[in-house]
Amino acid sequence: MASRFSSDCEGFYRRDFLRIGAGAGLLGLSLPQILKLEANAAAKNNGVSTSKKADAVIMVWLGGGPATIDMWDLKPDAPEGIRGEFKPISTSAPGISISEYMPKMAKVADKTTIVRSIYHSIPSHGPATVFMTTGNKPTPALQYPAMGSLVSKLVKGEEGVPSYVSFSDIRGGTAGSSGYLGTAYNPFLVEGSAGADGKSKGTLKVRGIQLPTDFTLDELSNRDKLLSGFDTTFREADKSADLIQGFDAFHQQALDILRSDKTRKAFDLSQEKPETRTRYGTDNFGQSALAARRLVESGVRFVTISIGGWDTHSKTFESHSKKLQPTLDNTLSALIADLSDRGMLEKTMVYCAGEFGRTPKVNKNVGRDHWARSMAVVLAGGGFKRGYAHGTTDGQGMAPATDPCLPDDISATIFRNLGIDPKTELPTATGRNVQMFREGTVIDKLLA
Amino acid sequence: MKSCFSWKQFYAVCAILLFSSSSTLRAEVQLPDGTVIKKVDFEKHLVGLFGRSGCNLGSCHGSFQGKGGFRLSLFGYEAEKDGVTVSRESNGRRIDLQNPDNSLLLIKSMGLTEHAGGRRFSPGSWQHKLIKEWIEQGAPLAKGSGAIKSLEVTPKEIPFNKPGQKINLKAMVQFEDGTSENITSLCEYRTLDDGVAEVDISGTVTSNRAGDTSIIIAYRGTVVPVRAMVPLEVKPGYKYPSVPEVNYIDKIVFSKLKRLNIEPSGLSPDAEFLRRITIDTIGTLPSPNEIRSFVADKSGDKRSKKIDELLKHPMHAALWATKLSDITGNNTDAMENPANLRIKRSQMWHDWLRKRVADNMSYDKIVEGVLCSTSRDGESPEIFLEKTNKLDEELKVGFSTTYAEKPSLDLFWRKQAAVALDQWGEKTAAAFMGVRLECAQCHKHPFDRWTQADYRSYANVFTQLSYGVSPEAKKVIDAENAERKKNATNNNLVNPVKEVYLASASNGKGGARQGLTHPETNLPLAPKALGGPEIKMEAGVDARKKLFEWLKTPDNPYFARSFVNRVWGHYFGVGIVDPLDDFSIANPPSNPQLLDALAKDFVESGYDIRRLERKILETRVYQLTYIPNATNRLDDNNYSHSFIRSMMAEVVVDVLCAATGMVENFGADAPKDARAIEVGASRVSSSISYAFRIFGRPPRTAACDCERSMEPALPQKLYLMADTNLQAKIESQANIIKKILADYKDDRKALEEMFLSTLSRLPNEKEFKHFESYIATGKDRKKAFTDTLWALLNTKEFIFNH
Repeated sequence: MASRFSSDCEGFYRRDFLRIGAGAGLLGLSLPQILKLEANAAAKNNGVSTSKKADAVIMVWLGGGPATIDMWDLKPDAPEGIRGEFKPISTSAPGISISEYMPKMAKVADKTTIVRSIYHSIPSHGPATVFMTTGNKPTPALQYPAMGSLVSKLVKGEEGVPSYVSFSDIRGGTAGSSGYLGTAYNPFLVEGSAGADGKSKGTLKVRGIQLPTDFTLDELSNRDKLLSGFDTTFREADKSADLIQGFDAFHQQALDILRSDKTRKAFDLSQEKPETRTRYGTDNFGQSALAARRLVESGVRFVTISIGGWDTHSKTFESHSKKLQPTLDNTLSALIADLSDRGMLEKTMVYCAGEFGRTPKVNKNVGRDHWARSMAVVLAGGGFKRGYAHGTTDGQGMAPATDPCLPDDISATIFRNLGIDPKTELPTATGRNVQMFREGTVIDKLLA
Repeated sequence: MKSCFSWKQFYAVCAILLFSSSSTLRAEVQLPDGTVIKKVDFEKHLVGLFGRSGCNLGSCHGSFQGKGGFRLSLFGYEAEKDGVTVSRESNGRRIDLQNPDNSLLLIKSMGLTEHAGGRRFSPGSWQHKLIKEWIEQGAPLAKGSGAIKSLEVTPKEIPFNKPGQKINLKAMVQFEDGTSENITSLCEYRTLDDGVAEVDISGTVTSNRAGDTSIIIAYRGTVVPVRAMVPLEVKPGYKYPSVPEVNYIDKIVFSKLKRLNIEPSGLSPDAEFLRRITIDTIGTLPSPNEIRSFVADKSGDKRSKKIDELLKHPMHAALWATKLSDITGNNTDAMENPANLRIKRSQMWHDWLRKRVADNMSYDKIVEGVLCSTSRDGESPEIFLEKTNKLDEELKVGFSTTYAEKPSLDLFWRKQAAVALDQWGEKTAAAFMGVRLECAQCHKHPFDRWTQADYRSYANVFTQLSYGVSPEAKKVIDAENAERKKNATNNNLVNPVKEVYLASASNGKGGARQGLTHPETNLPLAPKALGGPEIKMEAGVDARKKLFEWLKTPDNPYFARSFVNRVWGHYFGVGIVDPLDDFSIANPPSNPQLLDALAKDFVESGYDIRRLERKILETRVYQLTYIPNATNRLDDNNYSHSFIRSMMAEVVVDVLCAATGMVENFGADAPKDARAIEVGASRVSSSISYAFRIFGRPPRTAACDCERSMEPALPQKLYLMADTNLQAKIESQANIIKKILADYKDDRKALEEMFLSTLSRLPNEKEFKHFESYIATGKDRKKAFTDTLWALLNTKEFIFNH
């Protein structure tokens, strides 16, 4: 096949016609391309210690913007109207306290890093979500890819398994998407539900790579036989056309993927012990977290699970104490403990965050409003320190007091743990090379 | 280690020194093309060599951060700075005047010490000699010595006779100092299509197969393309067939094919033509009855009549409103607050464009309405407010608004967040000139003429533009907004009245923005059309109007060309300039005569879009069959046969609906029963957003047509085979199968109907036999036809237009 070239700021480039054509993995580049990328990354990092610590990320997304002042960074000594209603409790990590409504997280705190000094300047859901999930401050000029998309581009995948799977289409796909990397690096979305009782088999599946529930493999074979008799006329007319060759290759790959049982097995939660399923929480969020762990085991590199309801403009303490924190406490602690028990935490990072924090000042509806100037996030596993709290906020939780850091710094640090230089340059649709994270730098203090 | 002094060694060293110094006196270096350089000049020769050797690429030392502490200007555009960098920085370690071979510059580039870039050339090579010679002369720098007047490459068009030939290019440069030199060995060479012709590092071009492409020659940031034409080898006595021509377009396309000995395919059969043009013009499939009656029609002008009918079809305007929505950046998420109205504003944008295409408003008038829009269109604040109130009432009710009646599309300039001045430059250049400017934001465009100063002076055309409340309307609008705020139940739902207006003063005063300054001197830059005249700022006069007048001048190189190219690209799958929005020196048109002729005709017709489309659609070129012949099988840019091509994501959705007999439900994101090409919003929340995304519908965030992806991808194939949303349509009890089976009791008739409603043709005997044997395996009739529908939707013939 001939190659056509185009030019851009950085020179000429070959148009990636069959971007995900022949090669490794579902979203794969060809193997030589991946090896080359890895070699480049290694070459670029010469001298700097960026050895790979982890090969997967589970992002736990708290949609709406959690009041982290009532979760990870309580201010019991602040004046009334700020300090909130919850008491801090001590944790397994000496000197670190968190909310009384998260006793299970307190038990696994010795496995986590809490970053208390993260801040940014966008108190609006959409763009703040983009900032947090891409590691780049949003700009009208270019849509940056979500971290999951970067992972599916840069981290070698597993044959027949998608690299980037998301349990929710965050903000209707405006966040979590592949941006300038192109459609091939979008997340594969999970549809269906895990079933609320924790015993049912559930109907979770990844959209686009698994057959619908009533569509059997036998039926697929039959239909494919029928198809082969209808698809020859056109092919014979023009065998050489790139599109024809490409689509034929895709057809075979698609069959392989639909027949592969790796992903299907990952979703078969009935293979887990009932107590494990219960430990994660029997609701959809809990079962998603369990499925996320199973997906990582099967070779998925980036999984996003999410739970909404954090946009607590009113009755924040009620929502947090009755529902939000107990739910998160249960599931997040189970995920971290389970990963740890299975020896997977060494190689898997967990990142729990929302788009911003909430106003230290409690409003007249006993709620807290959007507040980007201070917030806390939780990290665990693969290369991060354990039992550590990074940075502090001032006495009223208004802004970072020590070690201030930005969302893109966290992203850069996560990628450093994946063994990818955060300064790696990637081509946009016009071929212009842009740095993966425009401004993020690795936070050395977070590293174990 | 022996350390005794030996006279023998001493003499040997003296001999070397003597030899070297005599070579210094000779001071000549011979280049591979035979050119002898008498005096090595840093800017003329070394910077060229750096480019050729790849040292100053963006991925190497040309990067803004440099590499390994060494930074060169990107592509050697700033040779003077490079001179200082090489000879003075790093404590002069890069150059060793006493012992030239000990210079870091040489040691590194010859890979004699650790160098991430490896060995660029070998010891003893002419490159080595060239650099060494310069150092031996004392590493002289003459500022501006290499200023380029012009670069000429011969031959301008490479006259290959057949594949497998070689030809050497010759590059001559005229310097500003009056000298001229053969710098063939100091250029960088690239081909745009290595299938047709390859070029090596010394400028030797080899023809590979019939066709044509461009070879791009770059010397220190100056770029020249030459065309390589490779005719197919023919037997002696071969006579090119005579091909009927409908109009000037056929004439130009066929005359080029004739030069290449490539024969066009035959005329497409009626059904093939009808399917193609229906997808291209109204984004759906012809119905079985339409196909039957069209094929049965014996009148000679039935294709012309069909073209007219389709161009007047309401869905034709919807399709172009979608394309123009991409081009103008109808991005729902960038719309102003309140957020709950953004979807509807996107629909207003789409409606505004759609009405104009439906009315066949001339292209220049449409662009004027976008580029020069204001919110008030010259009306008084009171009338503006009255109209705004009316519109806001309409928005409360639904999608049906009178926005399309408004003379100008102010939504283009209304944005929730302030858009930087330079973004307006980029967006308008991409939309109305087909020029990608973004490179020039940070440095001189490496493959085009644009400098940072051009970029900034162009952006300065838009400094007058303001968004908010103009002083004139302040009293009226402030009162209204206070009222609106008071009446709102929720702060997030306040819909304040704002307007796009022109600031009364300029440059940071009276609501105007501060203009961008010169990148080096930081002095103010006068507003200037891109590649055009200076635009004088006058209070009360819209600078955008002056820009528009310049765009409209008949000899404007971009305005008409970029649009005819977009129309052509839409109907053929490949632009004459391709990518469609990349008009640049390094990306020349594949057929300049064709582009010029189309543009000229378009301007002369008064920018009549429908006439342009008709001219294109009635050509034999458009109506050729997709089935290639022995001579044109590999052609992918000379339109010798209809190219197999992807459909727009919206069209994929609509075509799948048409073939299954179902309607997509867009919920609250579009008017009821809208087809996908009628949806204004750039994002939808229903399940179909997945299909939009994987088939490449753009989010419309970037100033670039390239955001729409037309490349096939694996998830598309998986979607067609297994997606829940599509499977539900195939399995639905209310879909087309029910009707077909009720109407046709005979399996053969039913299969014919199903083929017509998907592939727009009848099954051949083989296909019918194949179906018969399938149903004979004991499948019930409904199941067999459901499986057949699945199979037909999964054929390549279905999913690609052809």
